Amino acid sequence: MAQQLDGSAPARGVDVVIAEDSRMQARMLIRRLEEAGHTVRWGETGGQALALVRERRPDIIVSDIEMPEMTGYEFCKAVKTDSALRTIPFILLSTLADPIDIIRGLDAGADNYVTKPYEPEYLLGRMQSLLATPLESADDGAAAMLEVTLAGQKFRVKAGRQQVLNLLVSTFENAVAKNQELVVANQELSVARDGLQKSNEELSTANAEISRINAHMLRDLKAAAKVQRSLLPAVDVAIPGTSVAWRYVPCQSLAGDFLNVFRLDDEHAGLFVVDVSGHGVPSSLMAVTVGRFLTPKVSDQSLLVRQGPDGRVAVARPAEVATQLNRLFQADEFSGLYFTLLYGVLHLPTGRFDYCSGGHPPLVRVPAGGGPPEFHAMESFPIAFVPDVEYEQRTLQLAAGDRLFLYSDGVPEAMDKDRNPYGDDAMAACIAAGRTAPIEAGVQELLEAVERWCQPVGPLDDVSILGVEWRP
Amino acid sequence: MAGAAAPGYDFGIPAAVSWGRRPWEDTIFMEQYRRIQTGKKGDIHLVAFKDKKILDDTVLDEIRSELTQLIGKASGPDLLLDFGNVEFMSSAMLGLLGQLHRKISAGQGRLKMCSIRPEIFQVFKLTNLDKLFSIHKDAPTALATFT
Repeated sequence: MAQQLDGSAPARGVDVVIAEDSRMQARMLIRRLEEAGHTVRWGETGGQALALVRERRPDIIVSDIEMPEMTGYEFCKAVKTDSALRTIPFILLSTLADPIDIIRGLDAGADNYVTKPYEPEYLLGRMQSLLATPLESADDGAAAMLEVTLAGQKFRVKAGRQQVLNLLVSTFENAVAKNQELVVANQELSVARDGLQKSNEELSTANAEISRINAHMLRDLKAAAKVQRSLLPAVDVAIPGTSVAWRYVPCQSLAGDFLNVFRLDDEHAGLFVVDVSGHGVPSSLMAVTVGRFLTPKVSDQSLLVRQGPDGRVAVARPAEVATQLNRLFQADEFSGLYFTLLYGVLHLPTGRFDYCSGGHPPLVRVPAGGGPPEFHAMESFPIAFVPDVEYEQRTLQLAAGDRLFLYSDGVPEAMDKDRNPYGDDAMAACIAAGRTAPIEAGVQELLEAVERWCQPVGPLDDVSILGVEWRP
Repeated sequence: MAGAAAPGYDFGIPAAVSWGRRPWEDTIFMEQYRRIQTGKKGDIHLVAFKDKKILDDTVLDEIRSELTQLIGKASGPDLLLDFGNVEFMSSAMLGLLGQLHRKISAGQGRLKMCSIRPEIFQVFKLTNLDKLFSIHKDAPTALATFT
């Protein structure tokens, strides 16, 4: 700055008077000036400082503007109109919030401005340059009335040539300093912007990756849903001597429920409903895995049928199927998943129905001869819950025209908006009301009744219904 | 009480106690888990579920890991689960209880449950798990059966 211009060594040990009403700022300024080797006297107001100046003439004065009693402008004017003090360099500390401040400073006769907030080094530099170019007393003669127009206002200012020059230089230096700050701020902003741009690019990359994974997962889900649909009965399922109807409504794209009905051999039909705990991918994966064991095709995997020693197909007892499944699926392997199962085998010529429940809701029979629907409950644990359970089975002898209903708990436990369950009674009433209609209509009506019950959000659980009528 | 507490900060705790074992120390200890509150009565671990609804898979997974963390520290623990806060529970929670039951039984510990409201007890009953688990009316009744 200025000292770089004239190249002189910094003045040491000059006498400084400061006027500053803020004690904290004054203390900081005093400490800094004293560190630089100067002698400092401090006035808390313009008046106090003026008294100090008159008491002993300082080499330089530094004054704040906003002060009670006597402002910096008034203090400056008092110094500059005193012929004995006029040549003392005067620095005003200004926030320079208003361009008119410059005119006021000029009018008051200030030699230099330092804008607040300032670096102490900057103020010391200014002091240095002012002390290097002492005000000539002869300059007094050059003082003239100047007319300045600023912001639409005319000002008449009396100022000396050197003073105007000094003030001009200080204003310019202020502007340069502020400009440098702006440049630095701009650079920082630019760095921040570059950083932001980089983050943005990374975000875009991450987003693209998420989209890619999402698309991949959707594809997998669709594939899984397709596999799961293969667990359901064939569309044209026809078993002689029976009417069969079923409905299956998963609450998500992948379900834990599944059901099936099929012929096991010439004389037997098998039917089941399975409900795996939970929903979504883990449950549906377990459902698919369970489904592979519940197939009517003779294979190494099928638990339902196997090749007998005489070459004929042997149908497994339902209790044996449940016991085997329980042995195959132990909950820990599926992180706590388990399932309930109702599996029955209908002997088509006689109407004998053997069934086994693994913690599943009761079987419902609608007697053809009239009377209310019967609930046939079995006390048993869900499959994959308790190790080494021997499941038992029951037998129902059907009469011609009797109907059986298998379902998942999504039917009786379907909740309305106040979380009241649909309930066994409502379900029984609905099934009874449809007994004279074809079973297809009866099953459809039960599904619609459940969906009506769950308005407006719809069922929150998978809903499975399987109805069979025996009519030999 | 006189003059012991700072002015304006009267917690209603006698000065003698507040400098000794603070009554809320247990509470601070409990806060280490998000889904469960834990305490101890003798050697019996007490666990209460904080959630009103245990339906979400995320909630379930957190409960599972917190219980595993708790049980993992003890060998053959006695554990009492308090369902007093729980209003809704998914069937998947039963699976978790089943795992817990196997784990604790294998370590010669005992698992008991209490304060299950009727709607939730229905879930146990439907699957006959009310016969597998030791279920009691409330915590004092359940604790008395551990002896």
